[in-house]
Order: sequence, then structure tokens, then C-alpha cells
Amino acid sequence: MELLQRLNEIFREVFDDEDIDITPEMTANDVDGWDSLSHVNLIVAIESKFKITFSQKELLTFKNVGDLLNSIRGKITTC
Amino acid sequence: MINIIVNDQYNIGHICTRQQCTSGLGDKVAFRWISAHQERSDYTFHNLDSESSKFAAVLQSLGFDAGDILFTFLPKTPEQFFCFLGTLKLQAICGTLFSNFGDEAILDRLGDAKANGVVTKKSLLKKILRVRHQLPALKFIIVTDIEAHQSADILSYPALMRVASDDFIAPLTPPETPSVLHYTSGSTGKPKGVLHAHRSILHQSRTASEVLNLTDSDTFWCTADQGWVTGTSYGVIGPWSLGVTQIHYGGGYDAKLWFDLLQKEAVTIWYSAPTALRMLMREDAGLYQGYDLGALRHIFSVGEPLNPEVVTWARKTLDKDIYDTWFQTETGGIMITNRPGLEIRPGSMGTPLEGIEAAIIADDGDLLGEDKQGNLCLKTGWPSMFATYLGNDVVYQQKFKNGYYYTGDTAVRDGDGYYWFKGRSDDVINTAGHLISPFEVESALLEIEEVAESGVIGAPDELLYEKVVAFVHLHEQYKWSKELEVKMRLHVSNKASSIATPQEIIIVDTIPKNKSGKIMRRVLKARYLGEDAGDISTLED
Repeated sequence: MELLQRLNEIFREVFDDEDIDITPEMTANDVDGWDSLSHVNLIVAIESKFKITFSQKELLTFKNVGDLLNSIRGKITTC
Repeated sequence: MINIIVNDQYNIGHICTRQQCTSGLGDKVAFRWISAHQERSDYTFHNLDSESSKFAAVLQSLGFDAGDILFTFLPKTPEQFFCFLGTLKLQAICGTLFSNFGDEAILDRLGDAKANGVVTKKSLLKKILRVRHQLPALKFIIVTDIEAHQSADILSYPALMRVASDDFIAPLTPPETPSVLHYTSGSTGKPKGVLHAHRSILHQSRTASEVLNLTDSDTFWCTADQGWVTGTSYGVIGPWSLGVTQIHYGGGYDAKLWFDLLQKEAVTIWYSAPTALRMLMREDAGLYQGYDLGALRHIFSVGEPLNPEVVTWARKTLDKDIYDTWFQTETGGIMITNRPGLEIRPGSMGTPLEGIEAAIIADDGDLLGEDKQGNLCLKTGWPSMFATYLGNDVVYQQKFKNGYYYTGDTAVRDGDGYYWFKGRSDDVINTAGHLISPFEVESALLEIEEVAESGVIGAPDELLYEKVVAFVHLHEQYKWSKELEVKMRLHVSNKASSIATPQEIIIVDTIPKNKSGKIMRRVLKARYLGEDAGDISTLED
């Protein structure tokens, strides 16, 4: 399954919304319920499903879904 | 004091809209709506009056009447304000739901209130539909972003509003008429519906003027969501009863964007929350250089205690004071507060407003003197005092003794009359200014197959004031894993709300309970904090 699709499934589960279709440009302002606390849920879920970890410093650099995708891609290809 | 009551009309919807128009403010901007993507739209008091009157007419055409209950389940949007004020114009009761609530939180509130209607948006509709079969009183769901009616009872807000007349006039509304409904969490049982009356506007208006210092030449920004009492008392009622222009921003926390807004919109009075202010404090100080906040006269804070470090930071970095205010859902408006003209004692709640009689009372009912910790109580009779807990008058009566309302907070009064918050007298968790019931989180966790028992406490947190910590005992056959952590987090978040999600989950062999099976949260808290648990004679073997 393509990375974008796998991440989309996680978004749907975290935000309890089967209609979410993420795009690289998407930010927290585009998804209902994406607040700082649900963001922690999102990160924990991504770490668990992809078996990766993010550093605090990395987390601060994510401005949109595209940044998140790039970071995940980098981590799973170096695993 | 400003007199906002004309011809005995106490209707909040009327006073905040039509009355402003008849007093000559019809063309004045009531609010500038700034979407999450920063598109701007201005709505005058005339627009606010017209749209809210149309919504009152819509409800009337659907058969709603005085005393019926309608909820909004919306993020911050212009429709939130039109629906809220329109519902009140009709003398129906308006409840507001935080848009991050999950299925169970929605069911508990709509079910308990026997709500007749709810206004929501398409992306949130599915949450309501999942529990709809358990809500027999719910007649209509009105959806703000569908263009055509979906069925006989799932209706399009734009379609309804297109044909509605805006000549609805609120009937003469006596002060005791029920108005706003907010649910609040207790340490046991389901959340309780705090019902207010239209008379609350007297106090909300007075405090908007006397505490927040609002005048009709101000631009006011209250960051609170309308799902909570601050969002209705001071994001709607207080300022609009005074004809004040507000800005309402539909996006979330973003330090740079927030400061861009403060500067660009020339905000003069800003009301926010300690957690947001602490987040701002953590940003690089350089971020704030170069901003011209010359228009900003005052900053206020509400939700949980404001730590002295934030006051010091604001003085140093922004050259501004922050005034911490204290009130509760039940009080409807500010009771004890720091305010311009009163020396700030950083970390203190401030002093009671004139006419508000606060007291520190021991558990045995004795009034305590200065520097003694006890129950923070308020002499009854302030105008915005809640009318009852909906359908639960027994619990309402239990909150009063000898003419005092027991707030559930504990505090100390110093020799100069300043009050200092000490904690809660119950187990309710205050996380980022939101009260969370440990019972609700425990109940959600118990729905997870792997969980045998759970106990939930609030633990000190530098950012959130308190964080939700869950102690979980797993069934023997299950092992702790990262996947299980995700499962627990998402289950609580999607059933209750994101703010109820445990920030820490601790796996234990057993949950301490007393001999009658009640979870001893104070023992869990003491263990977590490494403190003495005190008397544990009632702990089961």
C-alpha cells in the first residue's frame, strides 16, 4: 500500500472520520478536531504503525501533512 | 453601571442584536470572522440581528417553542452565533457542545437534556448519527454545510435560512426564563447540565464592562470555544450586550498567527487561557520582537490558575500585565478576579467583585479566617447564578448550605482579601481549563477488551496545569504494547474527547479500592506523586 494511503488510514482512525482524504498541503486547520492533544494521538499512532520514532525537534518542523510524509518516508527507507 | 434592560426585556438574543441596532449601532461591525485560512468577513449588528431572527423563525417553523432544547455541535463558525442567539430569541434553550466531543460525550449530553434539535456540520454529522437511535427526543438535525435537505429530519441550514423571514421579534422575556445550557463534569456519574436564565446577562454585561474594561470603542478577542461557558458568557453575551466589536478566529493555536492577528486587527482587549499563554511563553522570545501591540490595552486569562511565571514573562516580553479571572460554569460570569486598578499579586485569583460575597468555609460549616484553607463558597444571589442542574434538582440543592454555594474549589484568603486557589475538593481534573471527569475516562477505558480495571487522576503538568493519568490493570492474558497504548488513546479520544485522552498510562497489578469497591483515586495520586497516601484503613485487602 502506498505511504499516503497508509497515512490516510491512520488519520481516519485518529480523527474518527472515514471521509478524510489527506493531501500533502493539508494542515491542522483543514481537519476538524486536529488540536494539540489529538496531534499527540496522531504522532503516537504513526510511531506505532510504522515502528518509527520522532524526536521533539522533528515534531516542531512539521507544518503540513507533506512534511510528515517526507519524514516518515526518510525513516522507513533508512530502517 | 450600564443599564442594559429596556422595558423589562431580559432576552439575551434581543439585547445582543436588535437592541444594539435600535440604539444606533446597526451598521457597526459586531464581529470580524477570520477563517482558519484567514479569509475575513465582517458582520454588522444588523447582520447579526437579521441572521439570528431568521434562525428563530426557522425553529418556530419546525415546531420549536419556548423551553425546547437545541444544541449547537459546531467548531467556531458564524452560524454558531446566529443559532445561539436565534434560539434564545425564541425563548428556547441553547446548549453548546465542544466540537471535539466523541460519541459517548454527545450521547450523554443530548440524551440527558432530551434535546429536540442539534445544529452541526457535515463532518461531525456521522458522530450524531451513530448515537441517533438512542435519542428518541431528537427531532431535527440541521447541517450548516449541505445545500439541500438530506431527509425529512436531516435538514440543510442554508435551505432553511433562504426562505426564512428576518422579522422575528423576541417576545418579552422575564429574567428567570431558561436560556443557556452547558454540561460540566463531576467526579462521579455523568456530566450535569448547568442551566442558566436570561437574567445572567446583567452580570455578564457588568463584568465585561467593569472587569474586562470593554467599551463600544474596543476590539475584543476572546479565544474560548463556544462549547464552554467562557465562549458564551464572554465570546457572545458580555461584549455584544455592550455593542463591542469582536474578532472570532476559526483556526487553532499558532503563536505567530495569533500575534499577527493582535497587531493587524488592532485588538484592544484580549481574553485567553493559561495553557495558551504558557505555550506562547515557550516560544522563542525573538518571535515577539517587532510587533506593535500599542493598541492592546489589557490581557485577561481564565480557565485554570495562572502561574506567576506567565505574569512575569508578559511584563518582560510584551510589556503587559495579565489579569487572571476566576469563575465557573455554574457562576455564569466572573466572580473573583484581578483587574485593572487592583494591584496584581501574581498567582492569586484576585479579590471578589463588589457585591459578590466569597467565603472560606470548613467542612463542618465554620467560616474560616485569613490564611486558612477551606472550601471556596459564594453567598447566593448573584445575577448569573445557575438556575438548576437540568433534571437533577437534588444534586443542585446539595451544592448549597446555609445560604452559600460550594464551588468545589479549595482556596485561602490572605490578610488583604486576595484569594489563592489551592485545588479541588473532589477528583475532577482541570486540564487546559477543561474539567474532565475521571469517571468518564475510566468508563471509556473499561470498554476496551484488554482492560480489567482502571483508575484515573489528574497530575500536575507544566503546560496543561493538570494532565490525565490513567492507571490500568490488564486482564491476565494481555500484555502492554505500543499498539495497546494507541488503542486506549484513540478509544478515549473518540468516545469522550481529545482533551480527555490520558497523557500517561501506567500499567498496574491492581487498582486500589475501598471495602465498598470505590476507586481510591487519592491513593493513586499519592503514589504517583510519591507522597504519603494518608489514612488507608478503608482500603480493601
